[in-house]
Amino acid sequence: MRWQKNLWWFAAPSFLLLAAVMFYPLFSAIRLSVFDYYLVRPNDATFVGLDNYIDLITEGRFWSSLSNTMLIAGGSVLLEFVLGLAVALCLYSLQRGARLFLVLQLFPLIITPVVAALFLKWMFVARWGLIDASLASFDLTGPNWLGSPAWAKLTVILADAWKFTPFMILVLYAGLQSIDRNLIDSGRIDGASGWQLLYHVIIPALRPLILFVLIIRIMDAFRFFDTIYVLTGGGPGTATETLTIYTFSLGFRQLEMGKAAALGVVTLVLVSVLVMATAYLLYRREKGAF
Amino acid sequence: MRGSFRQQAMLSAFLGIFTIVTLIPVIWAFLTSIKKPVDAFTVPPTIFFTPTLEFHRQVWFEHGFWSFLVNSLIVAACTVAISVPLGTLGGYAFARIRTGHSRAVLFGLMTIRMFPHILLVIPFYLLARSLHLIDTYLVLILAFVALNQPFTIWLMRSFFVDLPHELDEAALIDGCNNWQAFYRVILPVARPGIAVTTLFSLQLAYNEFLFALVLTGSDTKTLPVAIASFGAEDISYWTLSAAGAIGISLPILIFVLLMQRHLIRGLTMGAIK
Repeated sequence: MRWQKNLWWFAAPSFLLLAAVMFYPLFSAIRLSVFDYYLVRPNDATFVGLDNYIDLITEGRFWSSLSNTMLIAGGSVLLEFVLGLAVALCLYSLQRGARLFLVLQLFPLIITPVVAALFLKWMFVARWGLIDASLASFDLTGPNWLGSPAWAKLTVILADAWKFTPFMILVLYAGLQSIDRNLIDSGRIDGASGWQLLYHVIIPALRPLILFVLIIRIMDAFRFFDTIYVLTGGGPGTATETLTIYTFSLGFRQLEMGKAAALGVVTLVLVSVLVMATAYLLYRREKGAF
Repeated sequence: MRGSFRQQAMLSAFLGIFTIVTLIPVIWAFLTSIKKPVDAFTVPPTIFFTPTLEFHRQVWFEHGFWSFLVNSLIVAACTVAISVPLGTLGGYAFARIRTGHSRAVLFGLMTIRMFPHILLVIPFYLLARSLHLIDTYLVLILAFVALNQPFTIWLMRSFFVDLPHELDEAALIDGCNNWQAFYRVILPVARPGIAVTTLFSLQLAYNEFLFALVLTGSDTKTLPVAIASFGAEDISYWTLSAAGAIGISLPILIFVLLMQRHLIRGLTMGAIK
């Protein structure tokens, strides 16, 4: 309708704003990525073509940060999903009090990420952290949560899971409530066991939602910064260094802005591929998902 | 699903344990914040002790957290003042325009929300540096608006979509123009949505760390930057930084209690109601 066409004017201020504070910086980042730009010598910036990109993909540190990102994102999202679904199912079966549990569990999700990371640091820190101190009172010694490369990866995964499992619970619980009860009841009357119900009725009914949360979380996990920065700073060594952490240290520690921008662009491309894959899947499953 | 009393009891027990485990880090930080250092470093961990609020007082008044709170609030309030009105207009437009173009733009906004922030922070820093805007409120506000804008548009759109078309159309037939229909008829009905969007935008600006870390200095440091740099390493600062961390979390706690009903919509950008 005609009156609706005129509404583009309503969106114009937002577009102008986004153009100024989003697209212009983005564009200049892409431009920066083909320059050798060292922060303390801005006048010596030289055009180097794709050299920054070639540098990146020929060095081990890029690949290790990529595999850390995938491991941490994949591990934590999987853990969050399994736990989240289990808790959401329990909440769904609970006749009263579900809301109270839900609200209490939301706290880690809403809290300032840096503060959440500190809370966890005080759990995991060697010797005086709550975990080590508790173990020590039984004369046990815990693993080196933050200091050994393998354990540090696990700790970071647990930290992400602590913060974001509530998101899964919240969304999946909302999804469960929107399923037609008759569907579940008739499955039950037909003699389906709990697992069969879950696998043949509940999961198929929730499929678009599950896809949505998984992708949202994976993409968020790709940008995961605050928690790792506070918990391990990417260490020990580069054991928990993700793409984001590596970009940060390239740009703001080594001051190689051009190369950092190139790494940012690579991350953007990776995330965009993920977004497009999701959009494709979502569109195919459910026309008009957007 | 109907269950026996026993089954319900088991479910409650499981959920209770899960909830307590989830909350242990928070409870532990709270206990640490009201301990004296002598009680904070013990094996086994001390549970009964004489509480003190001394460190809460110190962190806010002697270590300057008071002024970081003011910084955080100024930046968050300005972000909301720009982002929410524009997002409301945009959200209304996208709720009512139902063409392929508007779908494409909405999808674009979703993609923007997924941008790795680290890619934006580099040019923001360089631009701010060349314009001598580092350590000013202005640059941080602009950055937060950039991060926040796709979210506010999406969320407001999800509220406007719920309002029936007939509402605007009746106003138009009665002789209103687009703006009058929006301003006089739609906006008053959309007030709850605006309130929710405002609170979520405040929360985003209050919590943001990466941009604040890079763009602020001693004059404009916000709470997350302050707490991250404050004695996370030095163990003797534990009780102090625990007091700071708990203090920072209090507004968030109030936020959760206020927002209970709207949490899902806000947390999923309104993609799910």
